[in-house]
This record gives sequence, structure tokens and C-alpha cells, in this order.
Amino acid sequence: MKKQIYIALLLLPIISMAQTIDRTKAPAPGKAPIIQIGNPVKFTLANGMQVFVVKNTKLPRVTASLAFDYDGFAEDDKAGVAEMAGQLLKRGTTTKSKAQLDEAVEFLGGSMSTSSQSAAVSSLKSNFPTLMSLMAEVVLHPALATDELEKIRKQTLSAIESNKDDADAISGNVVKKLVYGASHPYGEMMTTKTVNSITINDVKSFLSTYWKPNMAYLVFVGDIEPAVAKALAEKSFGAWAKGTATKQNFDKPVSPSQTYVAVIDRPASVQSVVTIATTVDLLPGSANVIAGSVMNNILGGGFSGRLFANLREKHAFTYGAYSSLNPSRQVGIFQAAASVRNEKTDSSVQELLNEINIILNEKVGDAELSRMKNYLSGGFARSLENPGTIAGFALSIVQNNLPADYYQKYLTNLAAVDAQKVQDAAKGLLNTSKMHIVIVGNAKQIAKGLDKYGPVKYFDIEGNEIAVPTETKADASLTPQSVMTKAIAAIGSAEAIAKVTDVALNGTADIMGQSLNMSQKIVIPGNSVTTMSMGGMALMKQAVVDGKYSVSQQGQEAPITDEVKEGLDESASIAPEQLYLAKGYGLKVVGVEKVNGKDAIDVEVTTPSKKVSHRFYDAATYLLVKTSKSEEVPGRGTVTQQQFYNAYQTVNGIQLASEMIIDMGAMKINVKYTDIKVNQGLKTSDLK
Amino acid sequence: MKNSRTYKYSINQSIIKHKIMQLRILMAVIGISSLSMANAQTNAIQFEKYTLPNGLKVILHEDHSAPVVAVTALYHVGSKNEDTARTGFAHFFEHLLFEGSENIKRGEFDKYITNAGGALNANTSQDRTFYFELLPSNQVDLGLWLESERMMHAKIEQIGVNTQREVVKEEKRQRMDNRPYGSFLNEVLKRAFKVHPYQWSPIGSMDHLNAAKLDEFINFYKTFYVPNNCVLSIAGDFNKADLKKKIEAYFGPIKKGANVIPRPTIKEPALGGEVRDVIQDNIQLPGVFQAYRAPKQGGDEYYAFNVLSTILSGGESSRMNKTLVDKKQQAVAAQSAPFFNEDEGLFITLAIANMGVKIESLELSMDSIVNDLKIDLVGEREFQKVKNQITTQIVTSNGTMAGIAESLANNEVYFGDANLINTELDKYNKVTRQDVLNVAKKYLNKDNRVVLYYVPKEKATTK
Repeated sequence: MKKQIYIALLLLPIISMAQTIDRTKAPAPGKAPIIQIGNPVKFTLANGMQVFVVKNTKLPRVTASLAFDYDGFAEDDKAGVAEMAGQLLKRGTTTKSKAQLDEAVEFLGGSMSTSSQSAAVSSLKSNFPTLMSLMAEVVLHPALATDELEKIRKQTLSAIESNKDDADAISGNVVKKLVYGASHPYGEMMTTKTVNSITINDVKSFLSTYWKPNMAYLVFVGDIEPAVAKALAEKSFGAWAKGTATKQNFDKPVSPSQTYVAVIDRPASVQSVVTIATTVDLLPGSANVIAGSVMNNILGGGFSGRLFANLREKHAFTYGAYSSLNPSRQVGIFQAAASVRNEKTDSSVQELLNEINIILNEKVGDAELSRMKNYLSGGFARSLENPGTIAGFALSIVQNNLPADYYQKYLTNLAAVDAQKVQDAAKGLLNTSKMHIVIVGNAKQIAKGLDKYGPVKYFDIEGNEIAVPTETKADASLTPQSVMTKAIAAIGSAEAIAKVTDVALNGTADIMGQSLNMSQKIVIPGNSVTTMSMGGMALMKQAVVDGKYSVSQQGQEAPITDEVKEGLDESASIAPEQLYLAKGYGLKVVGVEKVNGKDAIDVEVTTPSKKVSHRFYDAATYLLVKTSKSEEVPGRGTVTQQQFYNAYQTVNGIQLASEMIIDMGAMKINVKYTDIKVNQGLKTSDLK
Repeated sequence: MKNSRTYKYSINQSIIKHKIMQLRILMAVIGISSLSMANAQTNAIQFEKYTLPNGLKVILHEDHSAPVVAVTALYHVGSKNEDTARTGFAHFFEHLLFEGSENIKRGEFDKYITNAGGALNANTSQDRTFYFELLPSNQVDLGLWLESERMMHAKIEQIGVNTQREVVKEEKRQRMDNRPYGSFLNEVLKRAFKVHPYQWSPIGSMDHLNAAKLDEFINFYKTFYVPNNCVLSIAGDFNKADLKKKIEAYFGPIKKGANVIPRPTIKEPALGGEVRDVIQDNIQLPGVFQAYRAPKQGGDEYYAFNVLSTILSGGESSRMNKTLVDKKQQAVAAQSAPFFNEDEGLFITLAIANMGVKIESLELSMDSIVNDLKIDLVGEREFQKVKNQITTQIVTSNGTMAGIAESLANNEVYFGDANLINTELDKYNKVTRQDVLNVAKKYLNKDNRVVLYYVPKEKATTK
């Protein structure tokens, strides 16, 4: 039944079996091993489910995976429904709670997983039939309970929220959207809005549309007879009725007419995430796949690729630079990427493009080529140790309509790749005049010089094009003094401000999904204590009380510099602008900038200790909406910290921001004051 | 590659994974290694074992099911063999011995393997240092050459020592100093052991490494990196007769070590009372770490302990997960970990408190779960579940050539019985519910444990 095919690896020379060895140099590889790739047994159930059995008796273990084959579908305003459905499946069935299901699976010494397009189980042979029935129960009779959906929604939303701060996540999302287009399923993006709109009925409708036996492959790998597998498949899924899902057709993404640069501004970034990407016509199994893989690995595959050698080892722009090339039935993609220091963004784009041009225009050398072919053939041989690899080959042959001996001939075909084929593959796939160059970074610092690569466009973090930020000139009649005076008036009348003796703000600070207590107390004049704590423990505390300054973080006292004192003095004031005017701060109106979509006047403030920061006042209300401060941090370059002030409330006639976002780049803190009191009679002795 | 070289008993704790908003502790190696053994029921692992005249033990498992080979060298030297003034040496060598040899230029060791499509790494424990290369089978000679070069005449030079000293410091910063709770194993060990060298962990002291002279490194190499202190264990697709000739050619000329190999004989006395302490760390959530002194690996009690540990934290339906994480929601993560070694053992339970949960109440809940094990026999269905989980784990561990080669070498070095790979499941099958109750009663007592509270720095109020 099982046909074994033997192929000799033709790649490598044969060495003699001499017993004297020359230890001064590495031994030559031995005769290429015979690769045996067994053909799996295949059959189809009456309902159309295609079943593969890869028998491997090395261990008394069996794995079954059920994979659904559809080329993506447009989720539109429900983006995320497939992913959430996949997670929900494993959280209970119509007859078992999640806890009961977990126990049942673990009692068998087994494991189970589910995703948007698959379900899989694995256990020892003896328990496998029972485990298989649990898998069928999960697939055919899931509970799909709303309370479990809510738990998943909460986790998904917090993941989306934290991704908004994550430059790599932003880059991944925007690259997909720009390269594939928003209307292509590969370019869709989960957002808070789409996730919030998903209902249990959407989940049910997704599963009942796309989880159909005639769209599924059931793959058994391990110590199981094909006849036994067949009986199990029949018993588990034989009664499942077939159905049809309308195949959705999508327009093929079009390449940009010319290379352009997409900048996503992330002011807190200390590194730019640079990606050069393009779609590629690269069907699985097509002639260019193997030569393309050699080309891509020479260019940017791991530590030995040219990108790594150039951007990391030669120029030290980055910790790593890599490229990838993915064939696809729908539309493939090539990407070359690196996270680079802000000031080297332009140079990095240049070097990435240079290396792509070199592989396009020059033939690779023999040594480099044969080294890469050894690397790939060795990796291929090692991958065969996992029986799942064979199953993967079998699936790929069917799904991609490949010749039956495609993987058996892989090494022979790899051996036949020469320098000309590598160059041809590069030329067939890559065109440096039609690339997307996507950069997530601090636009102010990195944008200069990028227009030499093509038009520079700006996008938000969801990949929507936005206007090129323009530096509006401030009204010439504005002087720093007049801005300060208006800002003070915006906080409250002179009379109202003068009446304030103390302020107490209490609320929460959310950091990466954790909620801490946040409080600030001010006693006029010049006393303040701010505390961030958890369960009664202070994590951060800063204070100025009766002229004594202190700052501690997680129990460690920070040194008190003039800069720290200045900061604490500001925090002990209702209107620090009064301080600026009284104490000889340097003030300069710089211009107008958009803050949260509104014009704000940018005032540069230089403290007596010569520290520079920027304060942004709403151009209409003159309320403070943002502050920003940049610092040189050794080894990290310039680090920018921004604070945003929102949701002003009027208490006792003065305006206080009840919400604050502290954006430190790598970390973001959302502060919400829910309890604000003015003039409750606090004394400095209350400031602990 | 060098950056990712693993250091075995550093515990892999990822911090706050905001995606799941859950603290997840990956007890990567602890405990698992003690289960990475055999499958007695079916598919016995065939192997041949012999010793070269220079004392090198060789174990060969021939298997042609895939064109791969794992070449491994286990040296019976770990942190317990170190001088009290030179801790960290064994682990330091794990780095130093990738620097090169008489015939391998500096920095080339890794490249030979990656260019052959292979992978390599190494790790160090209290008891041994383990090197391995995973290769396509026609490159087995390359593995023999590299390992024999390492054993015969590695380059121990000042430049390599200086380079690797910085790498090790960086590793310590990354894995312990910068990682929440990352110091816990060090803190536990120094309180649990007073006289045995297990009181320090393999990373050792940076001051000791700084103070060490080149001569001392050369001497360590000459003492421990000798054929008579090594097991060469090779599994995979080769012709045994041919391979034996090659092994003879590559390793035969290496001279037997001239120095006596020091092995500690000191016995650690009983703990003699509960040891409690509070550790301040850069963490957000407090944690409780309890370490009970336990027997050394390999005895009947050791197998009972592994069963007990699976009852406590094997999978989502285990007691600690179900009670502390799901039901009471007192902990964001909870775990037990058998930490058994050649001379002595520890049994560790730990939990990281949920937001706003008092650390004292978390400890009470942990104690109550442990107490249940001392009072009642484990229910029959639960006991069967745990046995089933362990059986799967043991059987599955023989799924790769690398796993088989390592198990054979471990069993030979620790128990003088490579064949334990085929009989270990029997030892688990013999464990009864009464055995679990017995070890719980005998060892899981307050006067036999160290308890550490990890708290955010400011909170610590030592009285």
C-alpha cells in the first residue's frame, strides 16, 4: 500500500571511508542520505471530507488535525470574527463546561487546540479514539456561550489596545493594509470597533458557513492503521452534512505605480521600523519558488544573510535585518525589514535598497551559493524527523495542486539552482521602482531626505492616509507673555485661582492592562505629593513638602537635581504659567501643531537649569493639551516623553484635567481622576 | 546563536504578557528534565554502549527513520564541582568552549554547523554540562570533528576569556537581574543549602570570574574536559560499524586526564526549621516561593514526587491551576516544580498574586492545597489522569534523536544505566496513591522548607 520512493541527494561529493583523518580542516560531508518520503494513504468521506493518513510507528502516539481550506473571506466590519470563533470552540460543548472539557482531555493524557481554520488533538494511541470523539464534540456541538465570548473579547481588546503602542504591531498592520489593500482579506485589520461589533450570531454564522466537511482535510499522523483512521473519521465526522460556501473572489492587489514612502508618525519612537515590501507572483510549486528561496536566504535569511552582514555587522544600524519571501495561491509577498536607530533611518533605507539592487544586478558567487544550498538541504533533511512534515507535504500537494513527487524532487531541484536562476528569480519577483517603503517612527526626526526614494505619504496607525503634517506659523501677534496670560485665564479667573488653598485628585492609572491607584494632593503654596500605588503599596511617589523634595520609584530614592526640583515646583502649582512669568523662565512661541486633530500653540519653555520642554495650548481655549520633552539617553539616542491632558472639569471655578496620558514610547500610562476635590482644608501634614 | 545558548536552571519567566493580561511562568526546564525519559511498553530504544581505552564512554542509537543525527557530548561537571571561591566556572566553560580550537578559528565553531544546515547549543546544570549538534546525517563527521576538537585542544586564551566574561555578565543581567523574580533560584538555594555546593547556582559569581587567572581556566579544562569524564552519545541515521571507526579516529588519540576529578562528598544536614525571608525586587505583583528539601533524584520517592507535582500543576485541570488561578482567582500563575539533582533535591511551589490579593492569604491557600495531599489519598480518577499525563510525556520525549541521545547520556552518567530509557515508565507505574501520601507527609512540612515573599521594592518592611 505504502510506496516508498528513494532519492539520492545529488548535491554533494562522496568521501572515502579512510580512517586516517586530517583534523586541520572540517571533514567533507558524506554521501548524501537517501531521503524516503512515504506517500500517505488518502480517501474521501461521502460528505466530501478529504482524509490523509501518515502512518509512523516510531512512537505509540497519534495526532489528528482538521484543517479548513478557504482562501480568506472578507470580514469587513466584523474583522476578527474568525479568530474569536476559533478560540471560542475549545471553551465548552453543549454537554461539557470548559472545566469538564479540560479535565476530559487531560484525563486521556492528551491535548487539544482550536483556531479559526483548524482543530487538532494528540495523545497516545490507546486513548486516541476517545480523544477523537471529544474533538468531534467540540467541532460539531460547541457551546459557543456568550459569557465565554465576552472573556475572549476582553482579551482581544486589550491586545489591540497594547498593540497601538507597539511599533512592530503597527508596522505589521499597515504593511498588510498597504500591500494587499483594505478590500482584500489579507489586508483587513481588527480594530476595537470591529471586535466590539462581533456577536455570538456572527460567530455561529462564520462557523456554519466555512466549517464544512467538504472544505476540510483531516490528517492523521502517527501509529494508526489507515483502516482504523477511516473508521474513526467516519464515526466522528461521517454524519456531518456537506454544504457550500460561496467562494469569494478578490481583486488582485496592484503594485504602486512608483516606489513611495509611507510614514506612520510615532513621536515616542527611538527606533524606526523600516519595511520594504511588495506583492509577488509566486504560486506554490511554480518554477521560481526554490530559486526564489535561495535568493531570499542569500539576501536576508538569518545571521548569514547579506542584510545582516551589512546593516548590523558593517554599519551597526540595527540588531538584526532580514528578508522574507512567501509564496501564496492568492498573492505572495516579499519583505525586507529592520528596526534601526532614528538617525540612521534614511541610511538604512538606502542600504536595504542597495542590497536588493545588488542581488538583482549581480550574480551570486559560487561559494555563497553552495553554502546556502547546503544550509537549505540540511534544514530540509532535518525537518523530515518530524512526521508532521510529511503530512504537511501531502496537504500542500493537494491544496496547491502540485505534482505528487514535488517534495521528493525538492533536493534535486535545489541542487540544480545556479547563479543565473537566482538572478532570474530576483528579476522575476522584485522591482525596486514599485515598492512600498513603510516606516513607523518619529516623523520629525526621520522624515528628512526620505523623498529621494519617492513621494512621502503619511498614514495613521490603521493605515488610513492622512494629510502631510504642516507646520502652521503661529499668529505673529502672539507673544509668550500673551499666551501665558491667556493660559492662566483659561484655568480660571484671577480671583478663583487665588481662592484655591488645596486640591486632591484621586483615580486610576492603567499601565499595560493593569490598574493602579493614582493620587495627587496639592497644598498652596508650593506643596504637592503624587503617588502611584497598588494594593496600598506605593510604586512611585514624588513630593515637595515644606521645601523638601523627594522622588522614589519602587522603593529606590532618585537623586534630587535642579531639574527634579523644577518639575516638582510645577506640579505644586495650579497654574505653572504663573511660575514661568515670575521666575525668569525662557519662553518662545515656536508654531502651531495639531494635537488630537486640533491646532495647538507650541511654546518652548527653558527652565533656569536650562532644561527645554514644549507646552501645547489649544488655539481656541488656551487650555494645556500636551507637554513634550526629549532627552538624550546613552545608548538609546533621543527619547521623547509626551503627556496629553483631556477631559477638563470645572471645580470651584478652576479647570482641572481629569484625564492624562503619559506616553513614554515603550510604555503608556492612562490616568483617570474620578474624584476631584478643591479646598477641603488639607494641610501640609496631610501630604504623606 | 551564542546569545540564545541556554542556561539550564535559569527559570524562564516571562513578565506581564499584556495580550492575555496574565502572568505566565514558564518553568521551562525544571521538572521536565526529570521526566524526559522512557517508554517501556513499546518500541524499546536499542543502543550500544562501550568505552574507549582513554575512558570515553560511547553510546550509539542507530535509527534510519529520518536522515538526521544528533551528536552530543555530556561532561560530568556542573556548578557543584566548583571551588567555593570560583563559582560560575562550569557555566563559563559552556561559553568558552565555543571560542575555537587548534584547528577551528575564533568564532567559526557555530558557522560550520549553520552552514551545514544544522543547529547547535549547550547548557549547564548543577551536575553536568551538555553540548549538542543536530545535523543532516551526511554531516555526522563534522559533529565528530567539532566535539573532538573541543575535547582535545580547545583554545583557552585571554581574549576568549575576556569576550565570554562580558557575554556571561550580559546573560546574568538578562536572565536574572532584569527579570522579575529572576533571582529566586539563587535566593532559595543559598537558604536551603548551607554546606553543599548546591548553595550557589550555575551562573555563579561575576567577582569570581573577574578574579580568575588564565591558569585557573586552563587547569579546569585539563581536569574536567577529559575523555574519562565524558559520555559521547549519538543517535540517528548512521552505519554503526563505520561510525565506530570514525569515533576511534577522532577521539582515540585524545589523552586520558591526568588529574583526579573532584566530586563533592559532603552531606547537607536537615534544614532544622522553617526559613522565611522577604526579597525586594523590581516587580509589580508579589509572589510566594516555597522550597521543600527533598531526596536526590532516582529513588522511589523521586518518582512519587513527580506524580505529586503533576497532581498540583500538570495542565489546566490540576489542583493549583484550578483552585488558585480559576476558582479563587488569587493567583495569576501557580506552579510546582520538582528540582532534583544528583546529590539532593528540592520541591518548589510558587504562585504570583493577582491584583490586590494579600500575599499571606495566597500562601494560606497554597498551604491548604499541599495539606490536602498529606491528609487524603488522591482520588482514583485524578490519580489515573496524572498517570496518563506522565505516560504521554515520557513516551513523547523519545520523539527526536536529540531527546534520545540526551536521555541515554543522562541515565548513564547519573544512574550508570543508559537502559533506564526503556524502564523508567515501570518506575512510575509502581507509584501508588499511598506513596504520594507518604512523600507528602514526610517532606512537605514547614520545618523542612524555605519560604520567600517577593515584594515590590517599596513595600518591603523588614522587622
